[in-house]
Amino acid sequence: MNIKAFKKILINKRQSYILFFERLTPFFSLVIMFLILGFLSPYFFTLNNLLTIGIQVSVIAIMAIGQTFVIISAGIDLSVGSVLALSGIISAVLMRGGCPTSLAIIAGIGVGSFCGFINGFIITRGKIAPFIITLGMMGIARGLALIITGGNPVFGLPENFSFLGNGRIFGIPVPIIIMSIIVVIAYLFLSRHILGRYTYAIGSNVEAARLSGIDINRYNTAVYIISGMLAGIAGVLLTSRLVTGQPTAGTGYELDTIAAVVIGGASLMGGQGTIIGTIIGAFIMATLRNGCNLLNISAFWQLIIIGAVIILAVYYDQVRRRHSATLGG
Amino acid sequence: MFSNTQNLIKKLLQLAAVFGFLMFLMFPGCKEGPKEKIRFAVAPKTNANPFWLTVKAGAEQAAKESGVKIIWKGPAEETDIAGQVAIIEDFLNKRVDALVMAACDAKALVPTVKKAVDAGIPVITIDSDVDSDLPLTFIATDNILGGKKAAQILSNLIGGKGEVGLIPFIPGAATSIMREKGFKDEISKYPDIELVSTLYCYSDAARGMSVTEDMLTSHPDLSGIFTANEPGAAGCVQALKSLGFAGKVKLVAFDSGPTEIEELKKGNIQALIVQNPYNMGYLGVKAAVDAVHGKSVEKRIDTGVTVVTMENFNEPEIQKILFPLK
Repeated sequence: MNIKAFKKILINKRQSYILFFERLTPFFSLVIMFLILGFLSPYFFTLNNLLTIGIQVSVIAIMAIGQTFVIISAGIDLSVGSVLALSGIISAVLMRGGCPTSLAIIAGIGVGSFCGFINGFIITRGKIAPFIITLGMMGIARGLALIITGGNPVFGLPENFSFLGNGRIFGIPVPIIIMSIIVVIAYLFLSRHILGRYTYAIGSNVEAARLSGIDINRYNTAVYIISGMLAGIAGVLLTSRLVTGQPTAGTGYELDTIAAVVIGGASLMGGQGTIIGTIIGAFIMATLRNGCNLLNISAFWQLIIIGAVIILAVYYDQVRRRHSATLGG
Repeated sequence: MFSNTQNLIKKLLQLAAVFGFLMFLMFPGCKEGPKEKIRFAVAPKTNANPFWLTVKAGAEQAAKESGVKIIWKGPAEETDIAGQVAIIEDFLNKRVDALVMAACDAKALVPTVKKAVDAGIPVITIDSDVDSDLPLTFIATDNILGGKKAAQILSNLIGGKGEVGLIPFIPGAATSIMREKGFKDEISKYPDIELVSTLYCYSDAARGMSVTEDMLTSHPDLSGIFTANEPGAAGCVQALKSLGFAGKVKLVAFDSGPTEIEELKKGNIQALIVQNPYNMGYLGVKAAVDAVHGKSVEKRIDTGVTVVTMENFNEPEIQKILFPLK
């Protein structure tokens, strides 16, 4: 929510209530879904299952946060799934070679950030559509992950590394803690920091942003670095969760992250989107999958159900948006 | 567009440099010289996993013995059917002498196989067949039998009673369907065993882990699981370990990837249903040699499945099947 929208809410209270509740639609969808699944499966509302959903969502959610920055800037990052695999493989190979765990983790995240930097650099300096550049990076990063490993999974990783993906602190799984920390930092960056405001500005109207003196190249590149870095973190986390480096990990995850961001209310045209929305979007998808699995719904129907929910969520959001526009929101 | 000729020349030079660089990148890929000896194309479902690397080793050994050259190429993902079609079409354009392939999809690859046969190139399918009589022979594991053997050993492990779960890999993929069918047919013969959950891992270890977690959440009394391929097993075993079920929930897994063998030794997997991928590659290329020399080949060649547990793990024949590359 930007400052202008916030002021408007203060001006007209009655309208503001409507707007406020409409903005919460994705959240209510999630709550309704929880209630239905809780009613259908006695195992859904157990603490263990809720924590399981949290763990299952963490990898996609972390990547989707990076994707949120990119989509708000009116770009797209198709390389996140492959960058996830490459980062995970780099960490795994280094650890296997005797490199200290912490250093290997940093190297993995570093590689992810570097891929993001390359994406951003070429997109901004070459003025080429992000779709194409990140599509290229998607192939390159996947290819590198396969070349480094010769196509084999990397196993025999140190036991202490498994803590990131499988450990618990005060009973809370570590992936959930890591995801929460990233959510808070990303939220603050996007809503309070100049980088966040410039991201919205670039996504809303790149010419206007340029004319008002924003260094477009610099901030746009930063957005892709964030996305690459978060894909790197997600890659290290997934590798730790599986305690093996899988060169084919993350295939198709880019689409899951994009879906999460859009379900969360972002526009693929840029300028709109929030971290909280994205997280809710990611939870909606993970909860659906978990629910379908608990209810033993056939794999064929699962695909249809998830597809239909994505379309419904985004369709409803568009209707709401037009409605808000007529209300003056 | 350009202010002067100098500028134009500069642009052209830049273009040439970029083009030259790309050519340079492609150079290492162009090792094939003029056609000297017999060339076979081998098209696996994907390049990236221990199973296909073992097939490759078998194919290379057979090629070495027979003095033929093989070109090996598959799509990055085994779900990339269109990618495989394109790869095989390129092979046909290169006029290879025979095509040894594992179909990513039984139906979608039929027109491509027909194209090859029409061009006079003999086709031999390994591991995964196409729905057609055109291939000379199909050399593979009897996957239905593999699924049955998995059901038998799992039933032994859980003492003939209890709830079990099944993790096939890709809905609609032929090998996945057959292993699933074999397992379901056999397990239904045990009156006290109930198959309570079937969840797919999409050949993704992370999905394999998630579905195992969900399976155990909805069926906390689960006694055993059968995972129908390697990534599924890698994810499943990790979920069992992290939830403290390892060893308690009996796990039978298809294939013998390095992770699976490691977990078998640790006691987290109780039995492996092992195919003979080395033989698929080896016999595939051998059959192609026979075909090119006009000899007849059998229509169906079974490469066999072996049940490996810690009891027979150290026997020399088993070691040879598990570690064909050593």
